[in-house]
Amino acid sequence: MDFANLAAQLNAGTILPEGIVIITLLTVLLGDLIAGRAASRWTPYFAIGGLLSAIVALYFQWNNPTPNGFLGGFNADDLSIVFRGIVALSASVTLLLSVRYVEQSGTPLGEFIVILLTATLGGMFLSGADELVMVFVSLETLSIASYLLTGYMKRDPRSNEAALKYLLIGAASSAIFLYGVSLLYGLSGGETRLSQITTNLLANNANESIGVVIALVFVIAGIAFKIAAVPFHQWTPDVYEGSPTPVVAFLSVGSKAAGFALAIRLLVNAFPMVSEQWHFVMTALALLSMVLGNVVALAQGSMKRMLAYSSIGQAGFVMIGLIIGTDAGYASMVFYLMVYLFMNLGGFACVILFTLRTGTDEITEYSGLYQKDPLLTLCLSICLLSLGGIPPLAGFFGKIYLFWAGWQAGAYWLVLIGLLTSVVSIYYYIRVVKMMVVKEPEEMSEAVKNYPAISWTAFGMRPLQVGLIVCLVATSLAGILSNPLFNLANNSVTGTPLLQSSVIQPARPVMLQSSKTLDEASVLEAHL
Amino acid sequence: MILEFPWLTAILLFPLVAALPIPFLPGKDAKPVRLYTLCAGLLEFALIIYTFWKHYDLSASGFQLVENYAWIPQIGLHWSLAVDGLSMPLVILSGLVTTLAIFASWKIDNKPRLFYALMLAMYSAQIGVFLAQDMLLFFFMWELELVPVYLLIATWGGQRKLYAATKFILYTAIGSIFILLAALAMAFYGGNVTFDMAQLGLKDYSLPFEIALYSALLIAFGVKLPIFPLHTWLPDAHSEAPAPVSMILAGVLLKMAGYALIRFNLEMLPHAHILFAPMLAILGVVNIVYASLTAFAQTNLKRRLAYSSIAHMGFVLIGIASFTELGLSGAMLQMISHGLIASALFFLSGVAYDRTHTLMMDKMGGMAKPMPTLFALFTAGSMASLALPGMSGFIGEIAVFLGFTTSDAYSTTFKAVVVLLSAIGVILSPIYLLSIDSFTRLVLETERCQSPRSIHCIVFIDSYHWYRSISQTGHANLR
Repeated sequence: MDFANLAAQLNAGTILPEGIVIITLLTVLLGDLIAGRAASRWTPYFAIGGLLSAIVALYFQWNNPTPNGFLGGFNADDLSIVFRGIVALSASVTLLLSVRYVEQSGTPLGEFIVILLTATLGGMFLSGADELVMVFVSLETLSIASYLLTGYMKRDPRSNEAALKYLLIGAASSAIFLYGVSLLYGLSGGETRLSQITTNLLANNANESIGVVIALVFVIAGIAFKIAAVPFHQWTPDVYEGSPTPVVAFLSVGSKAAGFALAIRLLVNAFPMVSEQWHFVMTALALLSMVLGNVVALAQGSMKRMLAYSSIGQAGFVMIGLIIGTDAGYASMVFYLMVYLFMNLGGFACVILFTLRTGTDEITEYSGLYQKDPLLTLCLSICLLSLGGIPPLAGFFGKIYLFWAGWQAGAYWLVLIGLLTSVVSIYYYIRVVKMMVVKEPEEMSEAVKNYPAISWTAFGMRPLQVGLIVCLVATSLAGILSNPLFNLANNSVTGTPLLQSSVIQPARPVMLQSSKTLDEASVLEAHL
Repeated sequence: MILEFPWLTAILLFPLVAALPIPFLPGKDAKPVRLYTLCAGLLEFALIIYTFWKHYDLSASGFQLVENYAWIPQIGLHWSLAVDGLSMPLVILSGLVTTLAIFASWKIDNKPRLFYALMLAMYSAQIGVFLAQDMLLFFFMWELELVPVYLLIATWGGQRKLYAATKFILYTAIGSIFILLAALAMAFYGGNVTFDMAQLGLKDYSLPFEIALYSALLIAFGVKLPIFPLHTWLPDAHSEAPAPVSMILAGVLLKMAGYALIRFNLEMLPHAHILFAPMLAILGVVNIVYASLTAFAQTNLKRRLAYSSIAHMGFVLIGIASFTELGLSGAMLQMISHGLIASALFFLSGVAYDRTHTLMMDKMGGMAKPMPTLFALFTAGSMASLALPGMSGFIGEIAVFLGFTTSDAYSTTFKAVVVLLSAIGVILSPIYLLSIDSFTRLVLETERCQSPRSIHCIVFIDSYHWYRSISQTGHANLR
């Protein structure tokens, strides 16, 4: 094998964005090592710059004619680019939000950035991983970095508790996932590449084996843990409540997006022969997540716990797109995750800001905030209402697209449950808005009465302000001007060969009218 | 493809755009915001009038000023606006009522910026509902109005404001699910996926499907109109809302549902409408009789007015069910006239509340002495509301009755029963509107305490006739 051939096989250019993140990571690490605490003046901005240039690099990889790298271990197709972009973007916004938070808690900033970048790296690799070993390694990179991040507030017992819980449950689910993967490896006669597994299973006559179903169940358990789908969600509220809030912001967006990328790639690619089964399981998970997440969120007193349950419910909505498995379904997933990034991070930005100023995150403590801090009230209201799907905010368009795609594919019950639970979600989101806006000055909470004067001058406040404004503007305008985002989501799906081959799958139980809807979709495209 | 200035888009977006600079207006108190909003409201109203005056051809039928731009073609959402004879008067009505409501909110000093921004947002949403010709856009506008109304009730409302606001948003949000479901079902029916209302109307739905669509939309709009079993949010919302918001709620929001019933159920689902129309007529009668009877039991002035709104919407239902042009025109007229009358009455009740700080009718009263103008206006309003000949309420109701009786879709017995029962409602309305009892008593109290200013009582309703006879009784009793 000559060198040129090897280089072509490696096709290392596919991981250029990840390379940029690694270099950023190392620079931050070294800078922190050499300059000590003084380095924290520039490391966060450098890291954000690195992540943004990774996104730019991703942009130039769009429609890459040779997306396979590392002998098929990594697939840089359009779908992976979108998901890697979402992970990197969520990490950069999280960095904006975390500078002040970490500074105020008195823990070193450099290490935090390094661990967060490691998690980002894991998430980005996971979005493009096309081989079982690669999947597992990147999944663990993401997970272990996440455990470290949740326990980052060393002096806070709740943070330690969260980290331990997350670690124990996470390690167990990783083990289960690994067991499922190993079954798949064995059944396919030692094949690790996702795209080859099906062929090998067929060749080994193992496609009817009960082993494939067991492997599927174990793999789904691992994925469902990552995206926090009911009933694999029990860790979410406790971990969200105890962890540092910027970490929660990243877990709820970046980590979840990577989990969805894994779900699409693994389920669609490696399990087409048990597609009926996995659709059935995922439908059950989606229904449970939507119902339980949104209903339990009603009863929460802590803002972070409420957002934890709301994120479970939101994951349920996104799973609709995965289940229906049409072009529009995948595109609506991508689109929803893109707007979810801004609205959820915006919500967390407000929670962080409020916690920094008052030291609490109880919902009742938000009473009367409008009088003291109109900007924060506006931003939190917009983000929460957007999560609830109120027009003209971005979340409305995200939900409409999901439900539109669901209806197109004939998944009427999923759409109906989705609509009903989003009304429930409006109720608990608007409860917070009501707390902030409606309460009269005499009903103000203690925290708001003692609200400090608004100042953005302290170290790390400016980035937080920038993050807040970016999320606010994006959430307000991404819906009205959503055409480019729609195009991006659609192109990422139509430009991905993997999904294109899966869309023409035989009829599935939830897709009662699959052939008809495909006709309709083509008619629609013809019209456009 | 922009051939001329997009007038309708301008009308629709102007209040929303005008709301944006409100947070940045200078000044500590409410005054600059108030003046600014009032100017915006007046300008918007002038814009509406100008547009329809100059660019709307009254003699032509069908849609005019059509605008259609692809907004999000991926899901078939179009920015598609147009007006016809059905929506044009309602646009003017919402412009008028909302502008007047901004006038009426002169006394709002609590969080004025938020209040006026929400009013303007609501302004846009209402007009959007009447202008939208794309069902998804219609749903968008319908939902857009939800949160502003919720916040307006919850923040500036009466004592049970949170209960009323939550009830409002839950009822309406659940109702609007059905709009989206129906929109999706209609859009994906048959070969082409479209949300364009004209094309949806042309689709040939199978009858069971059409019935399902009709029921879904009937629930959605029945909550808003409201139709009898779905009406319970309305008395709470209307009575707890601040006066300017009650004006808009009664004056415009109820008409959104009446308009939508005509636009969707009647025009787009004609086969199902034939089956459902008798039910609509019966529900209309139930609305009239039930709400009129319930209105008697209300001691709260605004609750009583709210129930009278429900009763008046019953006529709209009967008109829609009549299958005659006259009946339908009657329904439209009834909507317009109720929009004006109800907002006038709610405005006056707000004025009364401002001065007496109560809405309980047994505590207010004392009538014309301290506030003769208010009394006179209230009299005129309630006269119109009980459909006194010569006033706008009359022509709407009589047209509905005439339309329904001349309709050849129903048996004579059915028509007779419907007309008879709703006639009973018509008879009930003067009684509860004039509510003689409390009136007399309160006249006496005022006369006794000799200090009308300190009590600041007013009597809220009556005709000159009643006033004379009763004040005579009052004098007689004093002696």
